[in-house]
Amino acid sequence: MKLNINGVERQVATDWQDETLLTVLRDHLGLPGTRFSCGIGQCGACLVHVEGSPVSSCLMSVKQAADKNILTIEGLAADDGTLHPLQQAWIDENVPQCGYCQSGQIMQALALLETTPDPDDADIDQAMNGNLCRCGTYDRIRKSIKKAAIVMREAN
Amino acid sequence: MAGISRRKFLIATGWVAGGATVLYTLRNKAISVAPTVIFPDAESGAAWLQIRPDGVCRMFFARMDMGQNANTGLAQIVAEELNLNVQDIEGVTPSTSDVTPIAVTAGSMSLTAFSRPTAIAAATLRESMRARAAIKLGIPGSDILDDAGGFQTTDGRKLKYADLVDQTNLMVEFDDSKPAPNLYTFDATRDKKQVGHDVTPLDIRALVTGGAVYTADVPMQNLLFGRAIQPPVRNARIGKLDTTGVSDTKGFVKLVQQDEFVGVVCKTPSAVDAAMAKISVTWDLQQPINQQEIDRLVDVDAEMALGDLEHILLDEAHRKDVDWAIDLRFDVQTQTHAAQEPRAAIARFNDVDNEGETDHALEIWTGTQDPFGIKRFASMDTGLSENDVVVHPQRLGGGFGGREHYEVERDAVRLARAVKQTVKVQWTRQDEFTASRSRPASAHRVRIATDDAGNLSDWWYGYITGHVVFARERLPDWLLPVARLAEDMGVVKGALSPYSVPHQRVEYKDVDLPIDLGVWRSLNGAPAIFAIESAMDELAQQKNIDPVEFKIAQMDGGQPRLQNCLQLVAALSAKRSLPKGAGYGRGFACGIYDKRCYVAVSADIHIDHETQKINVLHMSCVQDVGMAVNPGQLRAQIESNLAWSVGMALLESFEVGDNTIQSANFDNYSIARMADMPSLDIEIVDQPNIPPAGAGEVALVAGPPAIANAIRAASGFRALSLPISFKDVV
Ligand code: FES
Ligand code: FES
Repeated sequence: MKLNINGVERQVATDWQDETLLTVLRDHLGLPGTRFSCGIGQCGACLVHVEGSPVSSCLMSVKQAADKNILTIEGLAADDGTLHPLQQAWIDENVPQCGYCQSGQIMQALALLETTPDPDDADIDQAMNGNLCRCGTYDRIRKSIKKAAIVMREAN
Repeated sequence: MAGISRRKFLIATGWVAGGATVLYTLRNKAISVAPTVIFPDAESGAAWLQIRPDGVCRMFFARMDMGQNANTGLAQIVAEELNLNVQDIEGVTPSTSDVTPIAVTAGSMSLTAFSRPTAIAAATLRESMRARAAIKLGIPGSDILDDAGGFQTTDGRKLKYADLVDQTNLMVEFDDSKPAPNLYTFDATRDKKQVGHDVTPLDIRALVTGGAVYTADVPMQNLLFGRAIQPPVRNARIGKLDTTGVSDTKGFVKLVQQDEFVGVVCKTPSAVDAAMAKISVTWDLQQPINQQEIDRLVDVDAEMALGDLEHILLDEAHRKDVDWAIDLRFDVQTQTHAAQEPRAAIARFNDVDNEGETDHALEIWTGTQDPFGIKRFASMDTGLSENDVVVHPQRLGGGFGGREHYEVERDAVRLARAVKQTVKVQWTRQDEFTASRSRPASAHRVRIATDDAGNLSDWWYGYITGHVVFARERLPDWLLPVARLAEDMGVVKGALSPYSVPHQRVEYKDVDLPIDLGVWRSLNGAPAIFAIESAMDELAQQKNIDPVEFKIAQMDGGQPRLQNCLQLVAALSAKRSLPKGAGYGRGFACGIYDKRCYVAVSADIHIDHETQKINVLHMSCVQDVGMAVNPGQLRAQIESNLAWSVGMALLESFEVGDNTIQSANFDNYSIARMADMPSLDIEIVDQPNIPPAGAGEVALVAGPPAIANAIRAASGFRALSLPISFKDVV
C-alpha cells in the first residue's frame, strides 16, 4: 500500500494497513505534526488535506487514503525552509499557547483561503468552528488568517 | 541527591564543561507530601545559568511548558541582566537526573517564585564577569561599563563574555547572606531592553511546522502501544470483569492484570482500540454517581439551616437577623480541564549495570506539571530506587491544573514492565473525561444588607464545595483527615470580598463528592467571585445605581489597585457603544486572585431570539499583576481566561449519571469555539516596582460574572446557576 505524502511516496507495512490515516502518519511514518485529540471528528487537531480537501485523519482509514495525495503540516513550508504565509502570520501574531491544536488550525485555515481568498469574520467563524483550541487563541487565529490572506493575494 | 555535593553534582550532569556557571539559591518556601513543592534552596541549587566557552548563554528552563511560556519570561530577565538579546539564550529542559527537585509548575507561581532568584543569578554572573574583565585589563571594575553581550571600557575597548571565559571551570556562587548585586530587572528607573517587551516564545517555529514536541511524538525504537481501563472514580473497585476475545485481536501482545489495573499491549494503536473495546467492566462504587447526589451534598441552604458551617473564615460582629436586601443562592457547575492533548507517556526499562556505569533502570517520557512527583511515585510503584528512575519532561498540550498525578505514567510503566519492551500509552478523549479530577460543583448563599445611607452594613456568605487541594486521592489516606482540619487553600480562594462591611461572616464546608476532584484553573476563585460579583451587581441594579460606581464606593477607599482596574475597564468599554435595541446588555465584574492579582472585566452580550442564543459580542479587560515582564504573554493569558469565561458562563457542564461520567468527548462537553469568541480589548497595568505575580488564572474570576451581569442588564434575568442557557433567560 502506498501513500503520497507531501510529494513523497511512502509505503505502508502490512501490519499497519488496518489503521487510521492518523496513526499511520504519526506512529508508522514518523510525521507527528498531525495531532490526536478527540478521535471522533469533533476537534480538528488531526486535519490534513487529501486530494486538496480538508479531512479529519482520525476518521479516515488508511485504506481510503491509499494512492491519494496527502498534505500534512510538515509539507507546508517550502523545501528551503521558508514558511508558508499562514505559518509566518501565526508567528507574527504569536498565536500558539500550548500549541497542540495549531497544526490543525493552520491546515483548516489553508482550506479556507483556498476557496475564499478574502474571508470576512463570518467566513472565518464558519470555517474554523470545528477546530477547538482549549487555550483560547481564537482572536489571534482570526487576525493571522486575515494577515496571511493579504500576503497570499498579493503573491498571486 | 544525598551524599553528592553540589559541585560534584554539577560536574556529573555535564554542566561545568568550562565557562562560567552560576548556581542560584532560594530559601525553602514549603515542604509537603505531594505534589512537589520544594523550591530551590541553598542545598539543592536547582537551576543553572552558564556562559559557555563560546560565549553562548545557556539556562535550564525550570518550568514545565504548557502554553504559559514562563520560561520565556525568565529568559528575558536573564537577558536584561546580562545585556543580551533574549533570542541568543539557549534554553534546555532538564530531566529529573539533571537537576535536584524543583517545585511543581502550578498556581501561576512561576514568575513570582523564580523571577528574583533568576535575576540574582544572572546579575551575579554579570558582576563576576566584570571582575574578571577588570583583572584582565588591569583597571578598576568601576571603569568597566556594560555593553551588549559584554563590556566596554571608558576609553572604548570592548570585551565580549566569550573573551572572559575559557575551558576551565569557573563556579560563581551567590551567597545569600550578602547583599544582592544591582538587579536591572527590578530597577524602575532603567530603560529596559528585554523585560517589559513582547517576546515571541523561543520555540515557536516548531509549533507551526508540526515539530515533534509533545510526549506522543518522541521517536522510539521497537515501540509497542498500550492502554488501561480507567474507572469512573478512583475509589471504584472492579465488580465483574470480562476479557473474552481480547487475545484474539489482531496485533494483540498481552493482557495485563494487577489488582484493579487492567490493560493491554498491542503492536499498533488501532489494535489497542479494538482490544480495549472487548473488555467489559462493572464497577463497584462507594457512592452513587449522579447529579442529584452531588446537588444533595452541596446543598448550602440545608446545611446552613442546621447551624454554622464547618469552617468560619471571617467573623466580624456578625448579625444573623437583619433585613437582607440581597439573599440569593448561586449554583456553579462541575467543569473539567479538557486540555487539547490527551495525556500520554512512554516507559522504557533499561538494563541496569553497564560495566559499573549505571544506566537508569526506568525512563519515562511524559508531559507533566510535576516531573519529580512522577519520579517519586514511579519509584514507589515499581520498587525501584528513586535513583533508578528518570523522567524526561515534555511540553504539555495544555495543563490547567490537571496534570500533576502519576496516572498515564503508571499505565505505561506497568505495561512496559509486563512486556519487557518500550510502551507508549496515549489516553483517549473518553479516558481524559472519565479520569477527570474536576473542578467541583458548589453552592453559594450570599446575603447583603445596607444601612440608611445605602452602604453595605452586613455580609453573610456561606458556601459548600467539593474538596480541591485536599481532594480524596490527592493525599495519602492517613493524611487526609488531619489535612482537612486545616484550610484547603483551593477551597478558600476568592471567598473574601474586596468590599468594606462592618458586620461580616464568611463560612464554608468542603465535602467529598461521588466524582474525583482536583485543581482546576483558579480553583474556587471563579465560583466564589461569580457569586459575590453577581450579588453586588444585583444590589446595584435594585438600587438603580451604576454598578461600577457602587462597587468602588463600597471598597471605601480600600483596594486602590482593584479600583483602578474597574475605573479603567469602565473607560475602555465606553470606547465602544453597545448596539441599541432589545436584548443587548453590558455587565461589569472585578476580583482579586491570590491577594496580589487584580482584574476587572466588562462584557457586552446579545440575547438573540432568532438563533435562540446568547452571544458575547465584546469583552474588555484590565489587569494588574505587578511588573509586566512580557506584556504580550500576559495578554495571551488574559485572552485564554476570557475564552474560559465564555465557556464557564454559557457552555461547559460536566455531566454525570447512571453511575458513570456522561461527558465523554467534545460532542457532549462544549468548550468555546471560534464563533463563540467575542472581540477583545485588553489593557495591562504595568507596575515596574512590584514583583510580577502570575496571570494564568486571573481574568477567569471576573469574566463569568461580567457576562451574567450583562445578561441581567439586557433582560432583567439574574442568573443563579451556571451555565446560563437561552432557555433560562426567556
Ligand atoms: S482527533 Fe480527529 S477531529 Fe479530533
Ligand atoms: S494552543 Fe493550546 S489548544 Fe490551541
